[in-house]
Amino acid sequence: MITDKLIYSSLVRGDSNTSLDLLRKTPFPSRKDEQWKYSPLKKLKKLPFINNSGFSVKSISTLNLPKMNGLILVLENGRVNANLSEFHKINGIKLSFLSSSKENDNPIINSKKENYFSLLNSSYLSEGISIEVGSGFRVQENINIINIVSSNDSLINTKLDLILSENSSIHIRQYFLAHGKTTNGFINHNNNFIVQNNAALVLDKFQDLKNNFHISNDFIEQEESSKFISNTFSMSGLLTRNDILNNVNGEQCHSELNGIFTPFKNDHIDNHTTINHYFPNCKSYENYKGIMKENGVGVFNGKVIVHENAQKIEAFQQNNNILLNDEASIYSKPELEIYADDVKCSHGSTTGQFDQESIFYLRARGLTLKKAKELMILGFINEVIQKSENSDYIDFILERVLEN
Amino acid sequence: MKELLVEIKDLECKIGDQEILKGVNLKVNKGEVHAIMGPNGSGKSTLSSVLAGNDNYEITEGSISFLGEDITEMSPEERSWKGMFLAFQYPIEIPGVSNINFLRTALNERNKFFGDDPIPAKDFLKMVAEKSGLVGLDNRLKNRSVNEGFSGGEKKRNEIFQMAMLNPKLSILDETDSGLDIDALKTVANGVNKLKSAENATIVITHYQRLLDYIVPDFVHVLNDGKIIKSGDKNLALELEKKGYDWLTGNTTK
Ligand SMILES: Nc1ncnc2c1ncn2[C@@H]1O[C@H](COP(=O)(O)OP(=O)(O)O)[C@@H](O)[C@H]1O
Ligand SMILES: [Mg+2]
Repeated sequence: MITDKLIYSSLVRGDSNTSLDLLRKTPFPSRKDEQWKYSPLKKLKKLPFINNSGFSVKSISTLNLPKMNGLILVLENGRVNANLSEFHKINGIKLSFLSSSKENDNPIINSKKENYFSLLNSSYLSEGISIEVGSGFRVQENINIINIVSSNDSLINTKLDLILSENSSIHIRQYFLAHGKTTNGFINHNNNFIVQNNAALVLDKFQDLKNNFHISNDFIEQEESSKFISNTFSMSGLLTRNDILNNVNGEQCHSELNGIFTPFKNDHIDNHTTINHYFPNCKSYENYKGIMKENGVGVFNGKVIVHENAQKIEAFQQNNNILLNDEASIYSKPELEIYADDVKCSHGSTTGQFDQESIFYLRARGLTLKKAKELMILGFINEVIQKSENSDYIDFILERVLEN
Repeated sequence: MKELLVEIKDLECKIGDQEILKGVNLKVNKGEVHAIMGPNGSGKSTLSSVLAGNDNYEITEGSISFLGEDITEMSPEERSWKGMFLAFQYPIEIPGVSNINFLRTALNERNKFFGDDPIPAKDFLKMVAEKSGLVGLDNRLKNRSVNEGFSGGEKKRNEIFQMAMLNPKLSILDETDSGLDIDALKTVANGVNKLKSAENATIVITHYQRLLDYIVPDFVHVLNDGKIIKSGDKNLALELEKKGYDWLTGNTTK
């Protein structure tokens, strides 16, 4: 078990012993566990994880990321790489790193949302960022957080705690990257977000971790009239798993979960999402597009639960997939559980291959086979990609999708 | 002096085990309009698709040459670059790809093949405005996804709009008239006629003689069971209109 092997200097302080206790009582998940039915963890379990804090990324330009505005916070192997970061004070934002904070970190352990990996994270935290946006501040600058693994076999536990106070808004971009030839590293990340009344949060996540592991447990608590939009772009990873739990705890909320995942050669990308509608008069939209290539495996399990009394909910969930060849596979399981009677909900899933007649049509107009396929892929992901309103970022994602 | 544009020799093809074309011969010179008529299922769409290079069909016999070059094995895109155009009987919907982007990519791919620079945005847009006017394509359709949610008639207009943009040497119009009301038919035919020149040729595939009142053919051919069984001038179309196909196909079991 991972925890037995850890010789670890982590940031465990305060109450986190509780999470360690809980972790010890939680079995390492297996495929018998419904939540892990389609994603093997055997390899992850066997790895001799070490705790490495060296830096090897020389400059940010070697990462080929899109143009960034705002703060750039770089974590490499779970430590702040200050040379690559760009800090400045932003009006209305309180930002701190747990490693340099004098206060004890008191993670809120909510046993209902915890799982083995979220507990592993809070028990052996490498670094955490905490951001509080003050009431009424609509932050124009982005917060870019780049989380890199650059050392083989390293286990990295990072987290972002974020509170958006009433009437505030912010746009966060997270990048999870494996550097160069790094293999068998593991970035285990927790996002804990609270979006208060009338606040709006946009989260773009970009994940590109060829030959490495990455699990992200995202917990989002929404209060009345708030807005949460999450766009997840998962390019590669030996195992990339997103667990999103979006609790909607107020009326008039808007929740949106979008994603593009493109597993190829030995990749396994798994998106698990749950949206809990506890209050009436809310809308949620979920749209994931998978493009599986070579022996890439994709998993989509999206669950929308409309609880009793949550009337007048509109919830739409869609997962469309393309398999580019015979070895590729997808497990798609959209789920709706409805305990209220006056709701408008739909869900669906499609999986197909490229339509030969469409390819012929494009070629007959002068597009090469390669261009025709590219255009079909662009068309396929277009409605999701347009959710990111920044054209630099859109071009960046398009380029990376087509590269795969 | 007539200049040969396309020559089809003894063309046979099949899909799976089913033989569809069973020996088609046809010569089209520059400046000519040929009509191909024939009953449903006789192989008209297959012939046009094979001409455009659809490799779902296996060519088992014969050859196609275009501007003196054997193109039997040539890719669809290269045929397109060299001046072949097929207006599809059932234009394909491509969700998420804008009509305009698609056409721009198409033109630039051709430019790339000929070693030319990409077309400047300004020239491209000017051309779009001019050519869409020619076929009366609704302005809003230009930026919509290719054919997605278009009515039958809009799809057909869009095909002719694409044809106008690509300015081909050989245009094959596969049942472009079906789904068009009489006014739309006139507009589309008018567009086709405006694009006609001594340098290009048109093959019009149709069920009905109606379209041929507007796009007047020099030759009319009847395709039946994968073979051209009769050729004539425009009067053949009128005769077919009156008598049907049975007197030619020998099918009396109607
Ligand atoms: N992709 C295909 N798969 C199977 N059969 C086909 C296919 N395309 C055409 N055919 C068959 O070939 C014959 C000719 O079809 P088609 O060329 O569409 O005729 P037309 O256009 O003259 O109506 C028909 O019997 C049709 O069923
Ligand atoms: Mg046909």
